[in-house]
Amino acid sequence: MADRRRINGPAGATLPPVYLNEDAQPSDDSKISRTRAANAIRKLYLKTGVTPSASGSAYLEIEAPGGGAVSGLKLSCTVHGPRSLPRSTPFSPHIILSTHVKYAPFATKQRHGYLRDPMERDLGTHLEAALRGAIIADRWPKSGVDVIISIIEGDQDRQTSKSQELGSWETMNALAGCITVASAALADAGIDCVDTIAGGVAALVKDAGDNNSPRIVIDPIPLEHEKILSACCVAYLPTRDEVTNLWFKGDLPASDMELYTQLVETGIQAAKSANLVLVECLHETMG
Amino acid sequence: MASTQTLLSPAELAYLHSSLSLTPPIRPDGRSSTQFRPLVAETGILPGTNGSARICFADGTEAIVGVKAEVERTKSALTTTEDETVHRLEGEFVEGLAGAGGNSAGNIDEEDNDGLEGQNEWVELSVEIPGYRDDDSGTVFLSALLTEALLADGNLTKKLRINTRFHWKLYLDILLISPPLSYPLPLLSLTTHLALLSTRLPRLKSEGDEDPFFDDDWAAAPYLYPRENGTSGKATLRPPISLLVMAVGNNIIFDPAKEELAVADVALAVSIGDGKDNNSNAMDTDTRNLRLLSVRTIDPPSRLTPPGVPNATNTAYGAAAGTTAQKQPEARAAESEAVEGVWKPPRGGAKPLVMAALVQKVLEKGGVTDEVLDALDAVELE
Repeated sequence: MADRRRINGPAGATLPPVYLNEDAQPSDDSKISRTRAANAIRKLYLKTGVTPSASGSAYLEIEAPGGGAVSGLKLSCTVHGPRSLPRSTPFSPHIILSTHVKYAPFATKQRHGYLRDPMERDLGTHLEAALRGAIIADRWPKSGVDVIISIIEGDQDRQTSKSQELGSWETMNALAGCITVASAALADAGIDCVDTIAGGVAALVKDAGDNNSPRIVIDPIPLEHEKILSACCVAYLPTRDEVTNLWFKGDLPASDMELYTQLVETGIQAAKSANLVLVECLHETMG
Repeated sequence: MASTQTLLSPAELAYLHSSLSLTPPIRPDGRSSTQFRPLVAETGILPGTNGSARICFADGTEAIVGVKAEVERTKSALTTTEDETVHRLEGEFVEGLAGAGGNSAGNIDEEDNDGLEGQNEWVELSVEIPGYRDDDSGTVFLSALLTEALLADGNLTKKLRINTRFHWKLYLDILLISPPLSYPLPLLSLTTHLALLSTRLPRLKSEGDEDPFFDDDWAAAPYLYPRENGTSGKATLRPPISLLVMAVGNNIIFDPAKEELAVADVALAVSIGDGKDNNSNAMDTDTRNLRLLSVRTIDPPSRLTPPGVPNATNTAYGAAAGTTAQKQPEARAAESEAVEGVWKPPRGGAKPLVMAALVQKVLEKGGVTDEVLDALDAVELE
């Protein structure tokens, strides 16, 4: 649908020109490599109560690795509700949860319009599935809650050339961030949940250079690896040891179930690490 | 959500849940836990398309898929202009850079390494479900799921490449032509599978980087997924299929109907690709080389079902009214504990082990997936 009410920027990506220096090294040099341990997530900053007008809100920032070659992830989440539904809606014995994930127009190199595109709607559906398991929905009949996440800065590399293929993997990192920040905002709004819920990503990656065998890493950044073979994003309830949403994508031989199980396990590890930050942040708010 | 809310009472839900948790489970339509609904399938029904298929399930849901292909100019990564001369110049320019050891750009210099990969934008998939907007979250979720499976292994986009300047753009239009009586994922996925299997693209006559020129003899058009011996026989490499599988209690149930999904503890959509080993020509099922392409949790509609009220708290059965409100903590404890025979929507998620078991069951050798693929093999293509 064309957005005709606003003056929109150019549809295509705008890229600054890049000139090669005389002493430019082959592309390996411009590639950053992973310096964290395979089982360490990037540093998180999480703060609740940033938006006074909402009943609950949270802000999440993930550090940018590699000296500015990749931008970090910045998310802001607001929770409106629980509030009563308009009179026209039919009776619901549960709270009606609606989730809304939106990239800011300037969040990534490719500009996002004001209307949500299919990818953002898809992220919203994933988030809804993840949160619905955590919320104790039958304590608020006839009411609704809106979870609105805006991605202020997307997790994306700033280099010009290798941008085409990578996009799809970055949405997984964004989803994991969305889940964690939404959990903090729900807690801030005082909505009863069975547990805190945290998101984590694990990926099976192949590193550049010598014939490395594929390995599993937590919180992957596509630019740091030669190729991502498969990845999975997990929404996890730590004290109940339950998974509310699982999203696996990639290409794995079916005979290798072991690898798949390991990947999900690693994703859960990542979610547990994110949960530590989440719990710490909630403690701070209480104290 | 395309998995619509069911109008079942708490008592009916409790009955369904307990009969599905038995060993072996008793399903409302009498199927075994791994059995699919019977279906009628045909291909090549739409003469105006490159490939088409129709599948009709026994419960009355029916889907049509049409595949159309168009030749499109390949965009280079560095430019978005459509002007051909500029395009060519850019191409040479980038190739020069690549020779000098610059960064790789797009697929212009990918000929050096025999990757020859396609781009994900070359496949466009749209799902239409009657009664739902095309930007409804359930519809978007379904199309994202099907697209993800198609693009996961990169085999399809690789086939769409014509030369360095041109490629095929494939439009898959998936139409559910009956109302969504059950969650339509397996139906849509199987129909898409058959449509892609029957898809043919005109034979290319030009060579190299010339402007593409095609044979106008439709009979000579090769299949998008080539057959083992020329034009007949089974396809060597097949499009993916996505199966819906759910868990109730200790049971794993395939292809759930709407009522069964309404009591699911957890539901997963699992996409599987089938790449046969190239080095073995045997046609038996042992050489089938299944690959796991994607797994997604489906938000089960069971979370939206109304809870039952146990007699102990029901004022119609002599429970004191108003007392529960005063004793908040006890009321909350009572709220969370299960009473035999009273329906309670599932709360929380699923254990990781249960999820793993579901996927394991789908990928099992000689299991349901093999059965489904064998059945699809039996469908005559045009």
